[in-house]
Parts: sequence; structure tokens; C-alpha cells
Amino acid sequence: MTTSFYLAAAVALASTLMVITRARIIHALLYFIISLFSVSIMFFAAGAPFAAALEVIIYAGAIMVLFLFIIMILNLGAEAAAQERQWLTPGIWLGPSMLALILIADLAFLISRGGGYANGLYAVTVQPKDVGIALYGPYLLGVELASLLLLAGLIGALHLARRNVPEEGEDGTGIN
Amino acid sequence: MGARELIALLPIILISVSAVLAMLATAFIKSESAPAYVSAIGFVIAFISLFVAYPELPRAVTPLLIMDYFSYFYIGLIILAGLAVSLLAYPDFKKRGVRQGEFHVLLLLSVAGSATLAASAHFASFLLGLEILSVSLYAMIAYDRPDIKGLEAGTKYLVLASVSAAFLFFGMAMVYAGVGTMDLAGIAVNGIGGSISALAGIAMILVGIGFKLALVPFHMWTPDVYEGAPSPVTAFVASASKGAVFALVLRYFTQAGIHDTGALAYVLLAVSIASMFIGNLLALLQENLKRLLAYSSIAHLGYLLLLIAAGGRGAFIAGGYYLAAYFAAIIGAFGIISALSTGRKEPRMLDDIRGLAWESPWLAGFLSAMLLSLAGIPLTAGFIAKFYIISLGISKAMWWPVIMLIINSVIGLAYYLRVIAAVYERPQKELFNAMQTGAEAGKISLISGGVLAVLSVITVILGIYPPLLLKIIERTL
Repeated sequence: MTTSFYLAAAVALASTLMVITRARIIHALLYFIISLFSVSIMFFAAGAPFAAALEVIIYAGAIMVLFLFIIMILNLGAEAAAQERQWLTPGIWLGPSMLALILIADLAFLISRGGGYANGLYAVTVQPKDVGIALYGPYLLGVELASLLLLAGLIGALHLARRNVPEEGEDGTGIN
Repeated sequence: MGARELIALLPIILISVSAVLAMLATAFIKSESAPAYVSAIGFVIAFISLFVAYPELPRAVTPLLIMDYFSYFYIGLIILAGLAVSLLAYPDFKKRGVRQGEFHVLLLLSVAGSATLAASAHFASFLLGLEILSVSLYAMIAYDRPDIKGLEAGTKYLVLASVSAAFLFFGMAMVYAGVGTMDLAGIAVNGIGGSISALAGIAMILVGIGFKLALVPFHMWTPDVYEGAPSPVTAFVASASKGAVFALVLRYFTQAGIHDTGALAYVLLAVSIASMFIGNLLALLQENLKRLLAYSSIAHLGYLLLLIAAGGRGAFIAGGYYLAAYFAAIIGAFGIISALSTGRKEPRMLDDIRGLAWESPWLAGFLSAMLLSLAGIPLTAGFIAKFYIISLGISKAMWWPVIMLIINSVIGLAYYLRVIAAVYERPQKELFNAMQTGAEAGKISLISGGVLAVLSVITVILGIYPPLLLKIIERTL
């Protein structure tokens, strides 16, 4: 399974390199999705199927959709649509598709070898139950601290994105 | 985790609960000042809880946190810093006309993150504490949104802190790959056993820490962020956020005996001396007050790093004392800039405060006390603190670093005295086209005046009667 792991890792490196060198954000996003999938395969090959599923659900699913929404919101108007049509030429699909094909072959190979993770890189397979026991056992405080982290992010985003900030004159006379 | 562990964890729990209460107060109470009250009272109660929970120490609370006298000392310092910043921010934001609520929630959260850092015993709590602190700081630095400079500073901090955090996390993963444990004390005591991957990991962790502490060569963000952020936030960035990381580094690097390891100790010494020289020399060239203090804070962290390179029991005493003195002085210095601001306009340049003593002798006196303490003049806390560092260096026969420190103290004195001289100069405002400060408008708020007075008194008392603090620090050994 080591070969599968390194193959997925190579795809991850290649696709991430493409993400940061693309000039158009849509093109970068296509490669970014591949990058996230390949990280997921890496987890799978290393014996962590639960982490692999989370990677797909949270990153390739939820977070990518958020990215797409942002781009949708930013690119308003017919001009943008025309531009987008110009960007999405068939040729652009080629690179990400090739990388995705490699990943699919990798995954098929892993599954064909008896469920893949059953004989993964490491002897241990981390099941969802193990993750749950760790999170609500020794790492209980970690879960609580992560909730504080999310609260900080939420409050910060709320404040910075608030639409009606009371505008003051340069003399800064202020409220009250 | 039983009742005793929860009691030992009480300070962090109380701060987190205050953050939630402040959030609810922001959401449901119309009054702007309600969240400010919640945060101030929350800090006071959390500080008192340190003494209530004191008999339960030392105690490991899950593998993630270690609550001992050392953690409590730094948590106490961080809580007091949070209280001072909260009290300074209230009048400052009132003058700017920005909302109070979210700031106090973020401040409480960042203090909770800093306290976690100071008490962390595991990579997971190190990572989470640091991220809570950083994420709160991004929004706090850019809090005054109409102020373009603040927004720019927040963005800069966001990008650079994320990059440094990436280094830190990658480093943690490499150390884990090398030694197979994430327990900080375990790694410190057992060492890395010649693992190349762990060694590379430690180097990457040093990069992340160097950024947080603004050490050379990771100091580029400091002047811009310090200048752009609202002054109370700058005070927090300069004090609590650095103090928390320093506490962690001091505990584990000293435990690992890094001062005996040769190569790594030389790296720390080189970074320390470079930070002193670059910080002080660049401060010497500054006309901008906040940038001057930013460069001087780089130099101060250089002095502190010298302690870690020296190591031993003395490092804990000198580190605790120096950090307490530095906290009081740097929060006070930025507090004075905040008190003198009118709305969004802060006295940025040296010319803006020229002749301040003739407008407001009290504030000028406070500012002189803070700057003299930062410079390390006798009768201030900074002198005793620097004295401990020098005596530790001499006891370890580190002659060259001590000589470098003394040279740097002299350079430091030059620019601190330049500010003090400007403050006591006869006013000639017409010549300089300077701003009208809050002192001239007669609008110094009572709260910030009170905080500054208390900080000045602390600075002087710690300079005259060191045993007051020393006795507490000696308990942490």
C-alpha cells in the first residue's frame, strides 16, 4: 500500500502546485478539488478511513461549495458570464481529469486489495469509534478549545463583515 | 476529569464563560457599555479564582493542560494584561465611535487562548491555544474598520500569522513522526533521540515561535501591525500574546536543557543578539512613536531569549520578573498613546507629544516612568529585571552576550530619553504642524487615567521593593 500512498501524495503535490500557479481562480479551484481528494486517498491508504471520509465531506464538499458561492457572488453580470465561457474551454478540464483518473485507479487498486485500509501502510486502522473515544476521552478539552476557536472566528467574521458600521467624520466625534 | 481538575481549571473556565456572557450581553442588551462591564468583571473574578484554586495545584488536567504554580503565575499576568487592555479599550473605542461588544468578546477569547498556551502540556493544546489567540487577534487588529491602516495591519497579520502557523504545525507533525509522542514534557525530558525528522520539526517550530515573539529575522510584521492596530490592541499584541508563547518556550526549552545542547543554544543566542541590535538600531531611527515602541519590543524579546539560552533556575526568576516589568511598561506606554488620541487620530509622531508635560504633567510623568522602566533605569521595575538577566548571564560566564546586552541597553537609553526629552520640551506647536492631543482638548478619560496611574505605581514599586514579586515567582520554580 506504500506505493498507493506515495502515488496519491505525488498527485497532491502536482495539483497543489497547479493551484498556486493558475491565474484564473476557477482553474485553480478545479485543481484544488483534486488536491483535497488526493489527501483523502492518502488518509485512506494510511489506515484512516474516517479521516478520509471527513476530508471529502468537509473540505471537498462543504468548503469547496463555499468557495464556489463566493465566486458566484463576485462574478455578477453578463460580461462575467461571457468571460467564464471563455475560461471554461474543454482543454482546461484535461489536467484535473488526468489527475482524477490517477486517483480513481489508485482507489480502485486499494479497494480491490481487500478493502484497502484493512492492510494499509500501518498495522492499525483508525475507526470512527476510536476517533470518538479519543475526542471524548483524553482530548475532551481539545474539543472545548476548538469550540472557543470557532466562536472567535465567528465573532470576528461577524464584526468585519457587518454592513452598517457607523461612519464617523475624521474628527472622530464618536457616539454618545 | 474530576471536580479537583475542574477547580484547577477554574480561571480558564471563568474567562470562557465571561466570553459567552459578553456575547449574550452584546446581543441582548442595548447598552454599549454592558459587554465592557462583563469583560472587566470577568477578568477580576478570574484573577480572584487563581487564589481560590491555588490549593489544588499542581495538577495535570487531561493530557492537554498542566496547571501548576508556573502556569498560574503567567495566567495571572495575562489576565491582568487583559483587564488593563479592556479598561483602556473602553474609552478608546468610545472616542472612535466603534462598537464595544464584539471587541470584549474577542479580548476574553484571546485571553483564554493565551492562558491555554501558558498552561499547555501537549501539541494539541499548544496548537489550539495559539489559534484561538491568532484568530481573535486578526479581528481585533482590524477592529476599527473605517481605519484603513488598521485593516491593512489586520490583513498583514492574517497572512503572516497563517504562514508561521503552517510552519509550526508542520514542525509539530515532523516531531511527532520522529518521536511518536505529542507530550511536550516527554519530548523535553527524553529528547528527540537523534531523529532527523524531529530535528527539522523543532527548527520549523522555532520559526513559528520566532514569528509570534517577533524575533529577528521574523520581525518584519511588527512595526506595521503595531502602528495600524488601535493602541489598546497593540498593547495586547505586545504583552499577552508574546508573554503566553514565552511562558511555554521558557518552561519546555529550559526543561529540555537547551542551554547545554551546543548548536541549538548558539542559534538562540544568535537570534537573541540579532533581535537586540536590529530592534534597537531601527528604533533609534524612528520618529514614529508606535513604530519606535514596536522596534523596542523586538529588542526586549531579544533580551528575554538570552535567558532561555542561559537556562537553569535563574532563567525562571529573571524571565518572570522581566515579563511582569515589561507587561506593565509596554501596556502603559501604548495606554498613554490611546489616552492622548482624539477619536481615530493617535499621536503617531514624536512631534505630536512634544511639550506634553506642559499640558498634562501627570501623563508625562507616567510616560517617563514607563519608558525609564523599558530602558532599565534604577528605581523602576525594568532595572531589577535587567539586573537579573545580567547576573544570570555572568553566573553562566556568558561574557559576550552580556556585553552585547549592555551595549544595547545604552542604545535603548538613547531613544527612550529622546522621547522623554521631547515630552519635557517647551511647547512650540506652531512650528511642527502637530496634532492636538487629547490632553490639550482636556479629554483624558478617568478610566484610562486610573489604569495608567496603577501601572506606573506598579512599575515604581517593583523597582523599589523587588521581594514583593520575587516571593511569588520563587513559588513557581
